[in-house]
This record gives sequence, structure tokens and C-alpha cells, in this order.
Amino acid sequence: METVDINVNMGPQHPSTHGVFRMVLTIDGERVMDVEPHIGYMHRGAEKLSEEMDYRQAIGYQDRTDYLAQFMNEQAYCMAVEKLLDIEVPERAEYIRVILCELNRIASHFMFLGAFGIDLGHFGTSFTYGFREREHIQDIFEEVTGERLMYSYFRPGGLVWDVPDNFVQRVRDVLPKSRQGLQDLDMLLTGNEIVSVRSRGVGVMSAEDAVSWGLSGPLLRAAGVEWDLRRDKPYSIYDRFQYDIPVGTHGDVYDRYLVRVEEVRQSIRIVEQALDQLPDGPIMPEKMPRKLRGPEAEIYSAVEGARGEYGIYLVSKGGDKPYRLKMRSPSFCNLSALRDMTIGNYVADAVAILGSIDIVLGCVDR
Amino acid sequence: MTPEDEEKRQGTDGEEAKAPDAPAEVPATDASASADAPEKPAAVTDTSAEPAGEAPEKAEAAADTPAAESTSETAKADASPAGDAPEDDNRPKPPAGSVADLLAAALPDVTMSAYQGMTNVVVEIEPGDVTQVMTAAKEQPSLDLDYVRYLCGVDHEAEGLEVVYHLMSLSKRHEVLIKTRLPQDDPKVASVAQVWRAADWHERETRDMFGITFEGHPHLVPLLMPEDMEDQFPLRKDSPLADIEEWQGDQLPEEGVGGSKKR
Repeated sequence: METVDINVNMGPQHPSTHGVFRMVLTIDGERVMDVEPHIGYMHRGAEKLSEEMDYRQAIGYQDRTDYLAQFMNEQAYCMAVEKLLDIEVPERAEYIRVILCELNRIASHFMFLGAFGIDLGHFGTSFTYGFREREHIQDIFEEVTGERLMYSYFRPGGLVWDVPDNFVQRVRDVLPKSRQGLQDLDMLLTGNEIVSVRSRGVGVMSAEDAVSWGLSGPLLRAAGVEWDLRRDKPYSIYDRFQYDIPVGTHGDVYDRYLVRVEEVRQSIRIVEQALDQLPDGPIMPEKMPRKLRGPEAEIYSAVEGARGEYGIYLVSKGGDKPYRLKMRSPSFCNLSALRDMTIGNYVADAVAILGSIDIVLGCVDR
Repeated sequence: MTPEDEEKRQGTDGEEAKAPDAPAEVPATDASASADAPEKPAAVTDTSAEPAGEAPEKAEAAADTPAAESTSETAKADASPAGDAPEDDNRPKPPAGSVADLLAAALPDVTMSAYQGMTNVVVEIEPGDVTQVMTAAKEQPSLDLDYVRYLCGVDHEAEGLEVVYHLMSLSKRHEVLIKTRLPQDDPKVASVAQVWRAADWHERETRDMFGITFEGHPHLVPLLMPEDMEDQFPLRKDSPLADIEEWQGDQLPEEGVGGSKKR
């Protein structure tokens, strides 16, 4: 029988695209024959704007890229500036950074787990569960930074101010809740028939392809590549903690889900250890210049963000502004492999695959 | 911060800051660098004299000279040599056995110059050699650079447009920045999207932002920019940005107390 390929436009205002993202699907019956992703709806020129900002002002733009894992972005940027200016970050500031970053990873992954249920047709239960747990952590962030979304809390050299007195106790109170919430979601989704049927063997990407596409974070690990910047390109104080790196075997949507569930558990472990070791002391170096002026140099600093490698390539030609600031965003690189993952799958699976990439469009477009 | 990190940071930073008078760090470079120093005024008047004066310093890479010369002819025809002369002289050599040496060993007939940047080993190559170098970087078992961390452009204005490839090997745990300079008018370079698929979107983004044509790219259409925005490239330095009100920090006194206390 003769068939005709049909083009279906999905987005930019489509609930399953997690933001302003559009993809044009070429379908033959229920099969996806081709995908053309269209991005750039949220392009605000953060890289260009950073060239006009001095080193402290550009921190705010880091929050506005990956707005679900803001602390990691701030850390990558601050680490770049600290390397450039040879600033030593005090111990206490490093610990607080790690605690906040790992809490941020937990919050971000809860967001993913909740949305993942919806993407697979599990309706709203998982989403409300995920959001409830994220909210507990969000409260801590609000108490520490005064903001719910755009924290701007890290500074080159340390932190803008110290955490509240009851910070340690507050985090200790929240961790059991997170652990329980994760268990709820785990029991709801992991053995669930709908989730299993919709995600096993869907959007498979081999380890070789994942490396060639430059995937990072949970997607790369789900494909079976044991790679985590916290361990393999150590930064900050991550070498002081015990944690495991979960790795998948099939590289499908289900493995990406499982890897993130386990990452939440490992992040809770890191936070607990960091709280035990948290020292007293200053949160900024004694002598910080009013105006930060860097030498002529180029720097790359990267962190393991919630979605993968978030990196800052900073070219300085002296002065108080970066000459060029490139943001290596994990969502952008991961999304570029969408076409490869989706072709040959069903239309409904396109939603599951997109959901499993866990994109943040602010991070894709910058 | 691990002690190792700290040591590395201080080490490289020290080299950056005071390469000309740090004989303990890089004796060979230092000797020729200080010998070169009086020649600098001469280099200002003649562009091609500058790489020639630098040649004895890179004795083992004698083939370097024609490469540097042709760069200055094509890309930096009207560049002020005073700007990059000290940079070339002071740049510390990468440690022996680094990726730069492996690359040079794998490609003996390709001209390249290497130096140790603040965080990475940097290798500069000619635009015409991109396909050859990148293919070898990926395929050679000794290099095995299978992962593209990012690929981007940098606009050096009169000194040309630079394409930066940040490559990494997951198995060998080493990484390198490979750079090439293109002329401002009609910048073209071979695409590496066939070597690493990750380069696909990076090259499209770089085309959007800098107007660099990646020849052989399978689908070089606007990605982040609108489809009809053909001749404006936002990240070029000549692209206008609306005036931003200057931060009042400019009026603050230079010698202040520590930032943390004041806040």
C-alpha cells in the first residue's frame, strides 16, 4: 500500500516540550521518520551580555541559563573567575557550595521524576509528589539566599553571606523527607507497568554514540559510560566524600530514569557527609579587591551539573570584563542527539525521549 | 581545593605572570625569551620578522616558521604586532609527553605550535589542516580524543576569527584545546561534524554567532537565530549591543576593605 509522510508540528507551546521548544516530526503512520528540532526561542544572548558585565555582575546570567540547577552554574562560573584571579576559596564556603549544589541536584531530579511520570501518561500523581519534595529544598534555598529562583549566592572567592544559624539543622530535617519522597516515587514509578512498557527499549543510544554526540550527565551514564566530572576531573572538595556513580546498561529511557533515582540517593549521602564535616570560619578570603581585574589568559572550568557538564570557557584580555565567555551547556549538547534517538520510534515515544533528556530551554538557548 | 590542584594553579599562574624572569620553571624558553626581548621593537616594524625571531626558541619544531608566517600574511595582515608579540614570546611550553607532543608525533608533516594555557594545553594549527588533524585526533589510538567538550568561536577583531575545539579522551583522561585562525572576511573552515557528531550543533551555533562557514556540514542552517537573519552575527565584536548603564562600582574607592566584611 502506498503511504504518504506527514509533517506534524509540535511546540513551541506544547505541554510536553518542557518550555519553548518546537520539533517538526515527519511521520509515516505512527512511526517517526525524521525530526527537525527548532530552538532559540529563549535565546537572550547571555554570552554577549557577559562581555559587557564585570566579573561579579555576570553571576546573575548563570542563574538564568539552567534555572533548575542554578548553583552548579554559579559554581562553574565562579571557579573560572577564581582560577583567573588566583583566589583561594575558604573551606567553609567550599562546603556550603557543595551542600547547596547537591541539594540543587536533588531538587532538579525531583522535578524530572515528577515530569517524567506525566510524560509517560501517568497523570498527575508523580508530579505532585515530585513537586512536594522539591518544595522542601526550595524553602532552604529561599532561607539561605532570599530568592526562590535566581539565587546569585556564590561570588568569586566564596559566598555573598553566610548561611543562617539553623541551616545545618534545617538540612538535616529535610533529608529524611527527601529520602522518603524518593522512596514514594520509586515505588510508584519503578515497577509500574505503564512506565515499564513506555520506557524500556525506547530511545536507545549506545555508549559509542553517546560519546560521539557529546552527551554528558545521566544520559551518558545511562548509556553505560562511567564518567562523572566530580570524580574524573575533580574540582572543589568532591574528593573528600564517599559516593557511587550509577551506570546504566541499555541506554534507554528507563535507564536514564533509574540513573537519576540513584543519583538522588548518592547526593543525599554527599550532603550528609558534608554537613558532618562543615567547618567554621570565613566565607570569603580576607582581602578581596573591590574590582576584579584578570590577567590575559584563557580558562575552562566545568562542573557536573544536574544535566551534565556545565562549563565556562573564559577568554580574558585583561581588564574587569571577560573578552569572551562561552557557556558549554549540557542541555544543548544532549538535545542535539534527539534526532538520532527518536527516528524509528513511535510518535508517543518522542515525548518520552524528550522528557528523558530533561532539557531546560534556558540552558539550551542561553 | 586539593593540594594537587593548588600546586598546578599556582605553578601555571606563576609561569603566566613572570615567565621572562623565572629561570627555574622553563630554563630553555627563558633564555631565548630574554634574548628575544631586545628584538621586539624590530618586530613592530615588520610583521614577518616576528615569527622568524621566535624560530630558534622552537628548535625542535623548525617547521613552525612558515606556518606562523602565513598566518600573519593571511589573517593578521594589518594587525598590530605589538599586541601579540609578548604573548608569543612568553607562552610557556606544555610539559613533555603531553597531548601536544602526541599530536606532533602522530602528524609529523603538519605545522603546529603548542603552549600551556592556564588550564589546558593549547595547540594552534592552520585552517587547511583541520580535517587531517581532527581525523587523526579521533582515530589515532595514542590520542583517542573521542569526546568534544565544546566548539566555539572567538572574535579577535583585526587578528582574525578563531575557532576553538576542546577535545577530550574519556579513556586516556587527557584533553587539548585546538585552535585555528580564520580571516575576518569570508571565514571558512572544514566541518568536523563527520568526525564527531557532537560538532553538528556546535558548528551551526558558531555559524549563527560568528558567520563562519563550515564546509561539508550536512545541514548548516540557522539554529539559534531566526531563519532570515543571514548577515548579522551577534557575537562578533563589531555587532552592536545597546548601551548598558555603567555600574556605580566605577565610582567606588579603589582601596576598600574586604568585600565580605562590608557586605
